[in-house]
Amino acid sequence: RRLDMRPLKEAIAEAVVQLCQENLASIKEAAVLDIVYNHTFQNKRVWTVYQMTKATGGETDIFDFTAFKRKFKRRIQSSLINVTINFKEFEDNAIWIRIAWGTSYTKPNQYKATYVVYHSQTPYAFISKSINRSNLPLLCQALIVASNYGDIREMELRSHCLDSLKDIVFKRYSQTFQTHHPKPLQERNVAPENVDPRLIQEDKSEKERIQRVNREVFGDGPQPKLEFAQYKLETMFKSNPKMVNVSERESFRCLVKFSSPHLLEALKSLAPAGMADAPLSPLLTCIPHKARNYFKIKERKGVLAASLVSP
Amino acid sequence: MAAAGNLEEGVLSRLEKLEARARALALKQEETKQQQREEVARLRARIRQLRRRRDELKGKVSLQQAAPGRQEEATSSGAEPVQTARVRERALLQWKVETVEAMLRVFYLTGISGKLTERGVCFCLSTAYGGNYLDSYYLDIVITQPVRIHRHSVPVFIPLKRIAAKYLQTDIRCFLATLSAHLNAYVGRKYQADYLQKHFSAFLGGHWQKNSLYNMLAFNYDVTTESSTFPFRVKLVYGDLDRSLPTEASVSCKEDVPASLLEKAATHSSLFMHMALHKAFDTFRKAAEMPDDME
Repeated sequence: RRLDMRPLKEAIAEAVVQLCQENLASIKEAAVLDIVYNHTFQNKRVWTVYQMTKATGGETDIFDFTAFKRKFKRRIQSSLINVTINFKEFEDNAIWIRIAWGTSYTKPNQYKATYVVYHSQTPYAFISKSINRSNLPLLCQALIVASNYGDIREMELRSHCLDSLKDIVFKRYSQTFQTHHPKPLQERNVAPENVDPRLIQEDKSEKERIQRVNREVFGDGPQPKLEFAQYKLETMFKSNPKMVNVSERESFRCLVKFSSPHLLEALKSLAPAGMADAPLSPLLTCIPHKARNYFKIKERKGVLAASLVSP
Repeated sequence: MAAAGNLEEGVLSRLEKLEARARALALKQEETKQQQREEVARLRARIRQLRRRRDELKGKVSLQQAAPGRQEEATSSGAEPVQTARVRERALLQWKVETVEAMLRVFYLTGISGKLTERGVCFCLSTAYGGNYLDSYYLDIVITQPVRIHRHSVPVFIPLKRIAAKYLQTDIRCFLATLSAHLNAYVGRKYQADYLQKHFSAFLGGHWQKNSLYNMLAFNYDVTTESSTFPFRVKLVYGDLDRSLPTEASVSCKEDVPASLLEKAATHSSLFMHMALHKAFDTFRKAAEMPDDME
């Protein structure tokens, strides 16, 4: 017989309601609790990164959280009265903003709130993909007003893992730099092989080359966690020129999507596993450096070869 | 009769055709066999050629290895001088390598070191505070016109773009020095704040406020007198990003406190301006243990 959790859940729900009523809890406490829940389970949502430019503030800006909150609320509420806005600051200097949207006639929908994560003194904001895109311009306006910037744009960088997105744009991920003092390499699962000395690995030097190239590209540390990379091809279809009428050439539209529970680690293990040549295509390895995982590839003018075009 | 003749003709012509085909096939087989034989002979000749080349090279190598020894043997007697010469060479080489490594390590410890790359230089800025070596940050610079930063691991809230715009093209030393000062000051401020939270948590109240650059810090802390404990609130503003001491320190407490405490607030304020945070709290702790000394 299956364990019936429903009476237990109902009992807990009732106890919580009772507690709220006794302590005169309001929407504010509920909203803050919602923030805490979403902060704990942040990887359930898909986050998009936005970059703010043209800083209007002074050079050594002392970030004033109170002023930030005030300016943000004022900008939104000047256009839309029916909103619930709550803030919470966390240990890692992350400011979480929860916005529940209503319209001129309806109350805010508390079940479809938008979440924004902002770190002070950085030009980046992380917004959880809200289904309702009509409020996005207002949200962006409020962000740049509150954080003293002039412009904001959506980056082509999306993932479930918020910390990895932060690692990429804050440059916290492991990059390899040429240095005279390489960090001590951790001995990773290299058990001394009791191999018969008569067995020679024919491709030993090739394997070592692959390892070296891989390490140069990916570094030694863990990779940021992304789930997909998408490439939109708008290039010419290359085939036997006799078969295709030259005048009829048009772009061959094609979408290539790589998905994986951990895309960059998977790419890192491709060459050592023998499934791809090392070095990998720079289209794949440039993802953390260019801070994007959505690409549009067009023809390079004059030379018929695919090249990277960033808008 | 005619039909039989035809039949015979048919069969005979058939046989002729078959014979002709057989002959053609035999010829072709003979040709291919000939080709194969030629190919094999060619490859065999190639093998002999390569073997000859290999033997030549082997001979050269063994000659070279034997040559210095042979010279020494020609001049001196016995093999021992040869050995000591080699040992001396090796020792010299080792010493040279160790010296270079030591120099590189010294550069690394000074805080700014670099390595030439194909396109430019890769600088390593190591930071330290209070006798502890902390994180290292890297800059991969490409020497083109204009000088360009290709990649870096500097945190995003350090005003790298501003410093680069000011100094990178004109005075690279100044650029590195300024950036190093900013990074060292940042890690210093962060170190003080983290150390305080970790080791002096008994003194601290709540309402901890800080930002990414750690250039604004505000928190509550308790001040004990003979009679009771009073909560103070301090707000530290680090206006100079390349310093790890604040430019403003305002200590506040509730209005209804004895005058001696207001004096204390003033002393604390000046203390914070001139002393590292954790050192300041160290004096508080010592004062708490010996209440007569603190004024």
